[in-house]
Order: sequence, then structure tokens, then C-alpha cells
Amino acid sequence: MSQAVKPPSLWTNMRELPANVWHSLFRNPLPSDDLQRSSTSFTNFFLHIHPVKVNKNTLRPIYTMGLGLMSFFLFLILVVTGVLLMFYYVPSTTQAYDRMLDLRGTVAFGIFLRNMHRWSAHGMVGVVVLHMCRVFFTGSYKKPREFNWVIGVILFLLTLFSSFTGYLLPWDQLAFWAITVGTSIAAYAPVVGKDIQFLMLGDATVGQEALLRFYVLHVAVLPVIVTLLVAIHFWRIRKDGGLSRPEETATPVAVSVKAVELKKNKTYGLQGFVRGPFTKIGNTPDNSVFAWPNLLIAELFVFILTLAAILTLSMMFNAPLEEPVNVMHPPNPAKAPWYFLGLQEMVSYSAFWGGVGIPTIFVLLLLATPYLDRRTAGVGKWFARERLLANTIFMTFLIVNVVFVIIGTFFRGPNWEFVSPWK
Amino acid sequence: MAGNPKFAHNKDAAGEPGMNRRRMLAWFSGFGLFGSAILSAFSNLVFIKPRATYGQPQRFNIGKPEEFPSGTRMALDTRRVCVVREGDKIAAISTTCTHLGCIVSVADTGFACPCHGSRYDQDGNVTGGPAPKALPWYKVSLAPNGELEIDKDTEVEPGSYLNV
Ligand code: HEM
Ligand code: FES
Repeated sequence: MSQAVKPPSLWTNMRELPANVWHSLFRNPLPSDDLQRSSTSFTNFFLHIHPVKVNKNTLRPIYTMGLGLMSFFLFLILVVTGVLLMFYYVPSTTQAYDRMLDLRGTVAFGIFLRNMHRWSAHGMVGVVVLHMCRVFFTGSYKKPREFNWVIGVILFLLTLFSSFTGYLLPWDQLAFWAITVGTSIAAYAPVVGKDIQFLMLGDATVGQEALLRFYVLHVAVLPVIVTLLVAIHFWRIRKDGGLSRPEETATPVAVSVKAVELKKNKTYGLQGFVRGPFTKIGNTPDNSVFAWPNLLIAELFVFILTLAAILTLSMMFNAPLEEPVNVMHPPNPAKAPWYFLGLQEMVSYSAFWGGVGIPTIFVLLLLATPYLDRRTAGVGKWFARERLLANTIFMTFLIVNVVFVIIGTFFRGPNWEFVSPWK
Repeated sequence: MAGNPKFAHNKDAAGEPGMNRRRMLAWFSGFGLFGSAILSAFSNLVFIKPRATYGQPQRFNIGKPEEFPSGTRMALDTRRVCVVREGDKIAAISTTCTHLGCIVSVADTGFACPCHGSRYDQDGNVTGGPAPKALPWYKVSLAPNGELEIDKDTEVEPGSYLNV
């Protein structure tokens, strides 16, 4: 600026104020060409988690079924409703149950928020499992995505543990006995079992200490770890070159790149040094489309769908609340939440094998999966013929689990004896 | 870069004595940092493990022996023990199911668990269901004030009674 520009008059300044504020907030106009589309994804804090372009395969609804995203959105709903519930909840054995009643009776929208929180929690467990199945059946854990699978398995366990810790908080009969049974299962682990149980409960039995501990884990420790791991999960998806997809058959032709984008003697930015696969920018005919608006619309769609489902469920069904805790009288049968009923069913045969041995082996197998199965054929396709063996093994595990859950849920009555649900 | 004294120094020290000292310092600080990380992780564990618990005491008095006439099998649910008296012999059997910690109820045949159907005989031996081991017996003693004292931290052989 060699010549001083005359400052605008006060009047002009005021007139332009809203526009100025707006443009300082959103530095890009609504994109109308490709350059603007890229720069919008690039310069916005919330959007820059996306690549500028995504492969078309990523957007095929039947490929991912949006299940990973759904898990994420359910987690968001859980955080928001959970923080709201925290304004009224007190983690005390004498008050917790009354607070639950207050949520029902006196707090505006209290019961609705509790419903949303409860149904999202159940939903998240289910959706995360389905997401894991999707990743398995499409062979998406193969190189270079091995470690992201491992992070996924940890996220799955954390999701279960979050549900488990949350289950105790209402301090009703269901909560108390489910946690009594659950923590006793932990005590069956060899050597450290008793110590783990004592550390979790802070006492010999479930009581005030346990309630406080579970509360802290549930509202602070676990969500923070999950948030961190989800961030790494997403970061890795970017660094692994986006989602898995079948190998592209047509080799991309050499193309002339727009002059503005690649000048001779350009000083290279960080992008120039990035190694390995990353989504290409530029006008290469590589089967990719711009993230804005294609990916964004897809994400918005999944979000609306998830939220709508949770809102509907919360309007139709109320989260259960049983009698207040009675340490003397366990309900009969005392059942864990549904996703642990497979475990509980196995525990009824052998406490060690059902509760500790088999689950540990199962988790170790899951963690080791990408390091055991390293063939690269059949990635990016549902139920690829090349992966028949791996898919069959996984499917078998899955079905056995589901059958156990169903038996535990519907076919077990008082004293855990076999009952027929049709009687 | 060429004028960087550090760089020049390294080049001079062809026998690498400086490099060794550096290396050693790096190792030491590495060990130090790593060690402190482990130590602090460990002390967090120690912190989390309560020294005193606020719940039910493990050792408590239940009353004079006369309050439990011969033939008594009285479950003290809050204490999770069953007081048994046969003639002059008194014992305390745990009522916490050894399967997964539900409270067993006193039945004609012994004890029965409502959670997964474990059954025990009069002495607490498993007679059915998933329970892996017998109900433990706890030490019963006579406190100086003449009351019976049960110590749940001390298990005794099944069949060992206190004579009153
Ligand atoms: C808190 C739970 C989780 C969240 C929020 C989450 C989120 C996501 C999202 C948004 C994606 C993008 C693709 C999609 O929507 O399917 C994804 C991909 C992926 N997830 Fe998860 N996920 C979770 C748990 C898991 C679990 C349990 C596993 C497996 C054990 C896993 C393994 C993977 C892998 C390997 C990919 C890359 C898939 C590909 O490249 O095709 N994630 N995750
Ligand atoms: S807790 Fe008694 S049978 Fe399982």
C-alpha cells in the first residue's frame, strides 16, 4: 500500500459491519468452482478434517452403510445429553435414585433426555459392532489399516465399558445386581482378578465407593479416552488414503494439471513431502469427487437419520427404572444388560472360561486379526470370494455370540433356568 | 551452517569422547524420564487403591451366644453371613454366592442362589449349579464383652466350630 487509502466514513463502516464480521468468520464464499471447493474444505476448522476430494466408492451407501459415522454421531448425542443430565445427577447412594425420579417428575424434558441418553448408549453398542462387521467383511483391516483396526477394537471395548459404568448410575435393582455380577466376573481373572475388582469397587462389595468410581470413569475418564482415540481413528483414515476400496483397474492417465496449481519453481508446501497414499488433488480423472458438497451431504444425511431414530425411540419408549436398590434381595434372575447376556450365559457354564478365558482369547484374536490375515486379495468388496475362509470364521464367531445373547435374553428365567418365551 | 561452533566441535572430536558423554547423558535422562513415568503410573495405582474402606466393616459383633439357640440357621443378610449353631458349637458361613456374588438364601437343603441357580448343602458344599467352590467359613470368637465376633477377613476350615 504505497498510497494511504482514505478510511471509509463512519456511515459506510457501520453499513458494512455485518458483512465484514460475516466475511471474517467465513473467509470463503459459498463455493461455486473447484478451487473454492478445495479451499473451503481446507480453511475451515471443522471441514479440514475432510480431504478435499473423496473417492466415489467411499460415498456408496451400501459400502460403509454409514455405520462408523453413526457410531460417532451417537457418541456426540451421548456427550451432549450426558452433560445435560450431569446438571441434576448426584453420585450418592442416598440420592441417585431420587434424582432419577426427579428426572421423571419435575425436571423439564428430564425423562426425554434420559431416554435419549439410554437409547443412544444401547444403539452405540449395536452400531459399533455392526461397523466392526462391515470393516471385517469388506477386508478393510488389511495393510496399511492394521493399526486402525486395533484402535477400533479398543474403541469397541471402551464403548462396552462406558455402557457398563453408566449402567450402575441410576442405583436401582437392575443396576446394582448387574454390576455385582459383572465385577465378580472380573474377579475370576487369574492372579490380579481380586485386585481389579477391589480397585473398581473401592471396597469389598458394590456401594458408595463403587458408585463414585463408576461415575468418574463414566463422565470423565472414558469419554476423554474415547474422544482421543476417535480423533486418531479419523486422522489415520486420512493418512491411509481414505477408505479402503477395490484396486482401481484403469491406471490414471497422465493429465495436464491446471497451471495455477503447479507452477514451475514453486516453493513446495508440506503436502509435497507427504509420503504414501493420499487422495490426489488436481483434475486427474481418478474417480474422485469433491468433499464439498458430496461428502458433507452424505454425512448430514447420516446425522439426521441417526438423530431422528433416537428422537423417535425416546418419544416412544421410556428408559427403564426398577425398584431402588435392595442389597438383601437380588431380583431373580439378575440379568446384565443385553450385550453382556452372551457373557452371562457362558458364565453360567463356567465362571472362569465363560467370563474371562474365552472373552480374553476372543479379544486377542480380534486384535491380532490384521497381523494374522495378511493376504491382500479381496479388499474393498463385501464378502469377497477370496476371503471366504476369514469371513466364514468371523461369521461363525458372530453367530455363536448372537445365539448366546438370544438365549440369555429370552430363554433364561428364575435361577437362570431354561424357560420358553412362548409359554 | 558452516560457522556453527557445535557442528565444528563434533567434527574435531574424531575419537568421539564428547559423543560418548553425550550419549551417556542421553541414556541417563532417557532412563530417568522413563523411570519417573513408570513410577508415577504406579503411584497413581497406589493412590486409587483405598487404604480404608467406608462400607461394611469386615469384623463385627453379632450378639451373645444365648441369642442363637441350638439348631439356629440365621442369615444376617446385611452382614452376608449365616450363623449356625448346633448344640454348643457355633460357626459363621458366608452367604455370598461363590459364583458371582449374589446373596444365597437359606433353604431346607442348605443354601440356594437366586441368580444362576447354584445350590449348596448345609455345610456350604456345592451340590449343583455353576458355583465353582464351597461357601467359605469365617472365624468366630468370643469378644471380651461376651459377644460373638465374626472376622470375615479370616477364613477357617469348613467344619471348625467355636465351642461356647
Ligand atoms: C467409537 C467407535 C467408532 C467410531 C466412532 C468409528 C468411526 C469410524 C468412521 C467414521 C469411519 C469411516 C468409515 C465408515 O463410516 O465406516 C471408520 C472407519 C474404520 N473403522 Fe471405525 N469407528 C469406531 C469403532 C471401530 C471398530 C470397533 C473397529 C474394528 C475393530 C473399527 C475399524 C475401522 C477401520 C479399519 C476403518 C477403515 C475402514 C476402511 O478403510 O474402509 N472402528 N470408523
Ligand atoms: S451368583 Fe449365585 S449362581 Fe451365579
